[in-house]
Amino acid sequence: MSRRVLVSSALVVAALAAGAGWAATRASTPRLTVFAAASLTDVLPKIDPHERYSFGGSNALAAQIQQGIPADVLVSANTSLPRQLYAQGLVAKPVVVTANTLVMIVPHGNPGRLHGIQDVTKPGLKVVVGAAGVPVGDYTRTVLAALHLSSVVAHAASQETDVREVLAKVALGEADAGFVYATDARTVAGKVAVFPIPASAQPRVEYAGAAVASSPHRAAAQAFLRRLLAPAAQRKLRAAGFLALPRR
Amino acid sequence: MSRRLLGGALVFAAAFVAFAFLLVPVVAIFARVSPGRLVGQLSNPVVTDALAVSLKTTAIAQALVLLLGTPAAYLLATRRFPGRALAVTLLELPLVLPPAVAGIGLIAAFGRLGLLGGALAGLGIRLGLTQAAVVLAVAFVAGPLYLRQAIATFEAVDPDLVAASRTLGAGPGRTFFRVVLPLARNGLAAGEALAFARGLGEFGATIMFAGSLQGVTQTLPLAIYQEFAVPGGFDVTLAMSALLVLVSAALLVALKVTLQWQPSRRTSRFLFAPSS
Repeated sequence: MSRRVLVSSALVVAALAAGAGWAATRASTPRLTVFAAASLTDVLPKIDPHERYSFGGSNALAAQIQQGIPADVLVSANTSLPRQLYAQGLVAKPVVVTANTLVMIVPHGNPGRLHGIQDVTKPGLKVVVGAAGVPVGDYTRTVLAALHLSSVVAHAASQETDVREVLAKVALGEADAGFVYATDARTVAGKVAVFPIPASAQPRVEYAGAAVASSPHRAAAQAFLRRLLAPAAQRKLRAAGFLALPRR
Repeated sequence: MSRRLLGGALVFAAAFVAFAFLLVPVVAIFARVSPGRLVGQLSNPVVTDALAVSLKTTAIAQALVLLLGTPAAYLLATRRFPGRALAVTLLELPLVLPPAVAGIGLIAAFGRLGLLGGALAGLGIRLGLTQAAVVLAVAFVAGPLYLRQAIATFEAVDPDLVAASRTLGAGPGRTFFRVVLPLARNGLAAGEALAFARGLGEFGATIMFAGSLQGVTQTLPLAIYQEFAVPGGFDVTLAMSALLVLVSAALLVALKVTLQWQPSRRTSRFLFAPSS
């Protein structure tokens, strides 16, 4: 009996060794672990299906990197988080890879009867925003401040941990309005109506990517970021509603 | 002989790994920062607000579970009817459902576009993203734990004692409160302790159906999740985690003590065999 156990465990070990060998022969193109902003959930796998993605609030992903959770690349929905991690020596120098715009959305049928962004302060309205520190939450605060509508934040029905949570609450009709990126609104077209935000109040929504310093695949991580900047990837990003790279 | 020795060593090694694996994360919560700093973090308004929301919603949810669950469990334990096994299984289903599925179910049922959303809206009620939604989420995931234990407990009550009470002239209500309930007290308390612990830890269904708002719907587990994403917020998450570990441990110990103590059985022996 125990001999059989020994034989089968030997087989398992042999299989694992074979697998490791196979993995080693593929080491030229390692499968990267990419931590990316929730708003990139649909588009990144279309650009590069080879990598392993973990999508979430950029600040949660940055916190995971700070706690030493292994990742190869971080793509944040802002430039400040990668810059912070760069200053701490946790990632390589960040590069801006794409840009976006903020919009207000209401559920299909507009149950809160909003006629414009100004109506978002109407009493009794359930408005959902990203939490402070979450990129979309910070952009939302910037927009509302520019439009002199900051009271909305204090009366928000929920402060969500990433943009897709805001999107879901509005698309499901639980909230009367929410602030998301234009690209998120597109993914649930038909379930939400979009109110554009005037350019004068529009924040600078830029996504910065960086290779994680502790990654064993630094070169591949840099190559991944270069691929994001290449015309093919930029075309797919624009097709999803992201903005062309800002010229600098 | 040496093979037996090897076998023994393997068993001990496996036991050690299992023990260490389950214990190290709990110990690590307390090991990472000094107890003084942990206690200091507890005065953070995020923590006090989350604690207040957790206590309030859990208390209301557990009151609902006790008030509605106890009669339901008693009926299911004492009546025999076709489909009873199916009914009990269905009531236990939320117990094994993933919390995310519970959240989707609650939205699909009570959300504005849900099955009962229109009827609720007609009454002027909107549950999504409110404190009531937290209560519903907690009651939905924790209730079955109490229900299950309560059914088993009521089934274990000696029917002869109930019959004796009835023949001695006590009505069904009096029999329930004076005979059945005292006998079932420990089992019900144990079920309630389990439900309380599960309700306190509710996360998935709450964040989906009730959202997360400090002081309104943000319970301790939600606050831990949100603070984790705040740069430098790890100490606060550790403090809240430590608090939940202590409360859960206290509930577990209370549960074990309650289940071991059997005063009700002793009472019945005394009542019915006073000469012994």
